[in-house]
Amino acid sequence: MHKRLDRIAGMFFLIFIFLIVPSCSSKNRLAGHVYYRLNADPTTLDPALIVDVTGGSISAKIFNGLVKLDEQLNVVPDIAESWEILDEGTTYIFHLKKHVNFSNNREVTSDDFKYSFKRILSPSGRSPNTWVLEKISGAKAFMQGRATDISGIEIPDRYTVKIRLEQPFSPFLYLLTMTAAYVLPKEEVERLGADFSFHPVGTGPFLLKEWRHNNEIILARNNHYFTEKARTEGIVYRIIPEELTAVTEFEIGNLDVITVPASEYTLYRNSPGWKEYLSSVHGLNTYYLGFNCSRPPFDNVELRKAVSYAIDREKILKTFYEKRGWLAQGPVPDMLRKWQMRFPYAFDPQKARELIDTEGMKDRTILFYISADQEVVDIAEIIQYYLKAAGLRVEIRQLEWSAYKAAINNGEPDLFWLGWWADYPDPENFLFPLFHSSNHGASGNRSRYTNKEVDRLIEAGQKALDIPERNRYYKLAEEIIDEEVPWVFFWHKTDFTLRQPRLKNYKIYPIYTMDKGLEVSF
Amino acid sequence: MPLLFGITLITFLLTNALPGDPVYSMVGERASPETIEKIRKQIGGDKGVIRQYFGYASLLLTGEMGRSYYTNRDVLDEIIAKFPNTLKLAVGAMCMAVPFGILLGLASAMKKNSILDRLITGFSITGLSIPVFWSGLILMLVFSLRLKLLPPSGTGNIRYLLLPALTLSLPALASIVRITRVSVLEVMDMPFIRTARAKGIREMSVTVVHILKNALVPVITVIGLEFGSYLNGAVLTETIFGWDGIGRFMMEGIMKRDYPVIMGCIIMSTLIFVLINLLVDVMYLYLDPRVRVDGTDR
Repeated sequence: MHKRLDRIAGMFFLIFIFLIVPSCSSKNRLAGHVYYRLNADPTTLDPALIVDVTGGSISAKIFNGLVKLDEQLNVVPDIAESWEILDEGTTYIFHLKKHVNFSNNREVTSDDFKYSFKRILSPSGRSPNTWVLEKISGAKAFMQGRATDISGIEIPDRYTVKIRLEQPFSPFLYLLTMTAAYVLPKEEVERLGADFSFHPVGTGPFLLKEWRHNNEIILARNNHYFTEKARTEGIVYRIIPEELTAVTEFEIGNLDVITVPASEYTLYRNSPGWKEYLSSVHGLNTYYLGFNCSRPPFDNVELRKAVSYAIDREKILKTFYEKRGWLAQGPVPDMLRKWQMRFPYAFDPQKARELIDTEGMKDRTILFYISADQEVVDIAEIIQYYLKAAGLRVEIRQLEWSAYKAAINNGEPDLFWLGWWADYPDPENFLFPLFHSSNHGASGNRSRYTNKEVDRLIEAGQKALDIPERNRYYKLAEEIIDEEVPWVFFWHKTDFTLRQPRLKNYKIYPIYTMDKGLEVSF
Repeated sequence: MPLLFGITLITFLLTNALPGDPVYSMVGERASPETIEKIRKQIGGDKGVIRQYFGYASLLLTGEMGRSYYTNRDVLDEIIAKFPNTLKLAVGAMCMAVPFGILLGLASAMKKNSILDRLITGFSITGLSIPVFWSGLILMLVFSLRLKLLPPSGTGNIRYLLLPALTLSLPALASIVRITRVSVLEVMDMPFIRTARAKGIREMSVTVVHILKNALVPVITVIGLEFGSYLNGAVLTETIFGWDGIGRFMMEGIMKRDYPVIMGCIIMSTLIFVLINLLVDVMYLYLDPRVRVDGTDR
């Protein structure tokens, strides 16, 4: 028996040794690399398929498009050297830079853009981002398989791309700054097939060196980048799902930048050692309490006003939300708005109670759907308290994200909590998808708001090329939306990041495509 | 095989009955109805559940598990890639839990009602009561942040393994201590122990050969169950420590309604449970002659 026990002990020892042996290769930081954190493994790095910010922010460093955004959110040349807009805003002619190479050393030509755009719209493709390019003439016929080519994309020569739109669409250049409009090398896409998602080849300032799924992604500097090269040797993205783990990794110096979790915000803001390394940017987003405007009780605008009057948004922002955002006056973030706006139904509990009484809604039960996020749960409980004081019973239904999304897309709740983040920095991105009646449900208008005049104004804004004229339409549309309150506009969330003191020239951007990782250095 | 068929069918029906739609998670926040329909068709979601099930079952028969809806990566490849990490974590946790658990349980029983016994019992109740997300973070705080001895997250060599394995081992250690203690106490009162002592066998030998060996049967059951559940992934521990195992993979699949991933993970779990149970039964044969059915002991 002693021998047997010895054997068992020996077995454990052997297993222990088996585990210990690989530890000889202790992992160190890669020299000259900046370490960031991602909270999840990107699903893909193929620009055609990306819908998540994690994938988008990495692909922005591997790929380029015709145009990009500068720090003031203007559209500036990327691979296109210049462009002309003709035929009352329906024709765009892009002149490409020469000697821009993919990382496989082949020069980018106009053919590549046509191929990449066709790939997004292909009827056999899986891209969810077709909406980015569907304004191009002939795109819909191609998507539906009625045409073999997109009539609106022409390539007169090796360095010219001519795009015709079905009708003028003033934010079109902004659409081309998105990841879905990046250029890809045909030969690599065809050679790798579905694996292109994990072995992307682009023109960008960085190359994908290694992707250990759910672990880390390593990018190396592209030393042949066609313009100013990155100042760091590379970037390492560590995939760390848990926020407090990321904070620990940051504190012991294993990460150079982290997004500050809500729970740690006050700590870092008041910390003498860290507060000067806190960066912030007004996020291009709007968080809102959405009504289901397509059915009772919230098809009644008076009741929507009552709910708005009932909630003290400013107090919630200041206390619970610790001023980590700006009070919203309408759907469009202040940073993008060139006009004045004031939400007309600020906190007035007396008016709220009166309206609820007048509409005969006292003690009516309202279904409020939320996702299973602790911050959202807390906000929902605060809202529930305010509405109870105003005379409405609120039943909170908490669903996990996938079920929640299906429920709000299908119009199941009376009330729901959601945020919208900009795809591109134009008020149109906060008006058309969210309030146009053609976009009910999964296309963005989850409050199922319908107003023909708002539709008309948004469409007129989309077509107007003159900026003051466009802003006039948007302002009018936003005024009607504010007046009819399909949402209670809460806040525009501010993003905060914390960096290590050793990191130089670090900037935080309102849209992830703007960050090419070029300036940051040690 | 019939078990596998039953499990796959039930799981398939249950996952499909869940609220939520995988396509909505795939298309992002803004997608036209045409795009949604196109993608639904491509993943076969437009067909009836029964047709989908038979499609999946025939795929399984060819030895494949399909591809993830989101990443388009092969589910079987993913499981094969992640399983060694899960195995490492489970083995690591058991290496800590089993010897210490049995030792402490034995000591606790041998010194029944002493201070040592109370300390060990208190420790095991604490171990059972503390949730891993708390103990994990505290261990991280001490060993990574304060002492800077071990990395807080990542999948890799033993330095990365120690904290998650230790975290995961605590509840198992606690239950092994408890079951060992109870079982040893029960065996200690048996007449054959008295007989053994009367025969003048050394106390050490009585403890190890007579008491412990006989007390191990229920302990092995607990070890088997704990090990089996660890092999199916330890979602919280893997999430806290960024460990790339089956638990996180399955959890993300569930959250996104990635049906092929959920199915693949459940099939694997079933196989593991069957295997572990088989192993435990074999261990019984070794430890307890009464279980043998070859006739020689009857």
